[in-house]
Amino acid sequence: MNKQFLKQFKKMPMACGSLVFILIISIIAILNSMGLNLSPYAFDQTTPDALQSPSFTHPMGTDELGRDLLSRVFYGAQLSIGIGIFTAIMSFVIGTIYGAIAGYCRGKVDAILMRIVDVAYALPDLLVMILIGVMIGRGTLGILLALGLVSWRGTARLVRAQFLQLHQEEFIEAARALGQSHLDIICKHMLPNSLGPVIVAVTFTVPMAILSESTLSFIGLGLSPPACSWGTLASDGWRSLRTTPHLIFFPGIFIFTSVLAFNFLGDGLRDALDPRTKASSKQFF
Amino acid sequence: MLLRVILKRMLAMIPLLLVIATLTFMVIRVVPGGPFDQERNLPPQILANLNAKYHLDKPVLEQYWLYLGRLCHGDLGVSYKYVDRTVVDIIKDAFPVSIQLGGAGLLIAILVGVPLGTIAALRRGTHIDHLAMFVSTMGLSLPLFVVGALLILIFAIWGRILPAALWESPFHAILPAVTIAFKPMAYIARLTRASVLEILQKDWVRIARSKGLSESATIIKHVLRNALIPVVTLLGPVSAVMIAGSFVVEIIYAIPGMGRFFVTAVMNRDYDLIMGITLIFSVVLVITNTIVDVLYMILDPRISYE
Repeated sequence: MNKQFLKQFKKMPMACGSLVFILIISIIAILNSMGLNLSPYAFDQTTPDALQSPSFTHPMGTDELGRDLLSRVFYGAQLSIGIGIFTAIMSFVIGTIYGAIAGYCRGKVDAILMRIVDVAYALPDLLVMILIGVMIGRGTLGILLALGLVSWRGTARLVRAQFLQLHQEEFIEAARALGQSHLDIICKHMLPNSLGPVIVAVTFTVPMAILSESTLSFIGLGLSPPACSWGTLASDGWRSLRTTPHLIFFPGIFIFTSVLAFNFLGDGLRDALDPRTKASSKQFF
Repeated sequence: MLLRVILKRMLAMIPLLLVIATLTFMVIRVVPGGPFDQERNLPPQILANLNAKYHLDKPVLEQYWLYLGRLCHGDLGVSYKYVDRTVVDIIKDAFPVSIQLGGAGLLIAILVGVPLGTIAALRRGTHIDHLAMFVSTMGLSLPLFVVGALLILIFAIWGRILPAALWESPFHAILPAVTIAFKPMAYIARLTRASVLEILQKDWVRIARSKGLSESATIIKHVLRNALIPVVTLLGPVSAVMIAGSFVVEIIYAIPGMGRFFVTAVMNRDYDLIMGITLIFSVVLVITNTIVDVLYMILDPRISYE
């Protein structure tokens, strides 16, 4: 947000490299969604050369219908990265509003709201996603909502904790003494001051969502063809693991590297936004 | 004191289970489509009879009361898909399998994760540290099915050393256990590293060293004993990670455990089976979390849960 932050961030080669990688993948996804193809084949174009190993014409080989895997992986970036970022936005919006209400009102409202989060936390994320996915339906929209409805809980807790802490600050008291409205205090004073950790948490939501989507698609409860994401590609590749392992290998590599990149970016952001936590920054996400 | 904490937790479990049962029930019944939709060419009268037999023709609220009534008697209902098997039967078969898989995975995760994190902390900033942290970051970033595919490819298809699937001998458990251990191992290594680093700064470690205690004795007696206390708390989240992992691992290796039954039950809209497994999972999680709290109180008497 300021020069200090940029200076800190530039000192971290891993985070900067990750940012560049994420930008490249995002550009590929955006270009693809505008209809611009980056490889000689369309993502659903079938050719007679089925199940080929990686070669010069097909750098990642072809699948059982002779479709070029490189084009499909590029095309799948749209859904995978899109789902990741959309989930992060949803988790940010819902989590911030929910956490802000709990943290600002305190008392009984806070107790009730946090109890609900606790119950939602009682089950593993993936299980809740599956149940919500069943309710909404298995299309892209269903997965998006399932991921979004599960991922906001952490953000809500974080925002609430930040708000509770901020209540004790003098400038909040001053704002209240000046007669500012609740909304003004929340939007102008408390939110901007709790944004740092929330941004870091939201950055970590993106890889979580990418991994969850691919896992759900893999076990058959997420997206299914003709939808094309890295998860569905890997799921397709799994069936022919014995003969053509490259079909699961390349989508897997792309899931892995982008998740890794977002994780490194989150680490970097955390260190840059709050230099005090540097010592413990390598804990775990 | 300890007993009171345990009792309190067990009592708190009942409303939690009730809430989870209610939510799950509503979620799966709200969806259009029922368990017998997939059976093709079923005459409408048979379908109506089937629905009547399982009370599926009644309003949702009435079904809910019926279900709760049965639940109080420990009756989890019957499976619509696995004919003649009650949910309790299925869970009786599947639960031990999943527990063995999870236990083996947990053991591997601890045996690898704790030394990895400790070495990384002791050699902080060196290549060993970077390598250990890179491995653990990989564990968090690799999708489980890619780990599983790689292991099967290397050890079962190319190496032909280990079986690729099924659940028959301890031999069959090696690859699944390693796969499911991957993520918890990464969490444990990271937390151990952070925790050891913190303890290394303490005065008593400096004193132990300055009185001439050997390095290994210092590490084992003074550092690790204290550093591992926070690692115990990970058992709670780790068991949740294991449950999520079992969905994937049990499908990859065709293991007849709870995770695979859950996924197929969801696909088949096997209402009672979905409910039963979800409830068992919640009970397991509440119990592990209680164990963690009790262990924590024993290990660190300063903590109380009053």
